[in-house]
Amino acid sequence: MQRRKRKKRSSDNVELNLAAMLDMAFQLLAFFILTFKPSPIEGDVNMRLPPPQPVVGAQSGLTVGSSDSADPLQALDSLVVTILGTPTGAIEAMAIGENQVPTLAVLESRIHQLLKDPGGGFQQVLLQVGPTLHYGELMKVVDICNRAKLPDNSNLSKLSFVELPTQ
Amino acid sequence: MSAAMSHGSSAEPDLTPILDLVFQLITFFMLVINFKAAALDTSLRLPVIGSARPIDSKGVDDVLVLNVNKEGSLNVYGDRKSDIKRYIANEATASRMLAKRKGKTITNDDDLPTTVVIRADRGVSFNLLNKVLTECQKYGFRKFTFKAQNLEK
Repeated sequence: MQRRKRKKRSSDNVELNLAAMLDMAFQLLAFFILTFKPSPIEGDVNMRLPPPQPVVGAQSGLTVGSSDSADPLQALDSLVVTILGTPTGAIEAMAIGENQVPTLAVLESRIHQLLKDPGGGFQQVLLQVGPTLHYGELMKVVDICNRAKLPDNSNLSKLSFVELPTQ
Repeated sequence: MSAAMSHGSSAEPDLTPILDLVFQLITFFMLVINFKAAALDTSLRLPVIGSARPIDSKGVDDVLVLNVNKEGSLNVYGDRKSDIKRYIANEATASRMLAKRKGKTITNDDDLPTTVVIRADRGVSFNLLNKVLTECQKYGFRKFTFKAQNLEK
């Protein structure tokens, strides 16, 4: 009879030992806290970069580029923009074709105007860049190109880079 | 008196609320953990561009993240790659194999489906960065994403 009573008591007071579970949970928590590294919020500039092709200058008639392909049909009508850098990496001079541009604001308005013009027929921008120019400065020009619209109102997405020889 | 004493000798705190709280914290950290952050070199000073906005590719695109520091060296998952050419060639082969596994046939002349994510320091010279870009282009990478901040920290 006594035995029966004991059995009844033990089944009524089932108590899980939560301490072990809590230890494990704390260990998991410590792992997640220690490895937590919030990723920085970064912006994207998406571009399609075909290798430099021979340029059919839609207006200037200049041929620039370093491709081995001599097939003029493969060439794209490119707007040639030249950016030279100072030895410290800042922008020294800019030009569209052979016309010098004094500031980035003027460069922006001219590029946007030229690319939007249906008569221009430009499909891509070819950036001729001085070797010393810093990436941060170059991206200001890339940003201008990225925001430019083509005659069909789509964004310009084709860019090519050509490195100018050291002066 | 005896009842009070026996209660004091077997004091067991109720651990259930604290366990609930810890599980909620674990759930939070599990949800916000981002393993992609390991690919980013946070010591780089990215260029600042006002129009740069985060674009969500919804994880569809295969990406190759290249961190280029001020000296022009390539850093991938914290590992400095001394032979840039060989690393990019291997990645191009891997991209082709991945595309093949997905059922796409890519010949040597075709563009690779992988997007190259360039995270370069704003102070790197163009000639150093261009080495990385031309190598990527040489092996068939055409889709590029340049990372930038839209605000100065």
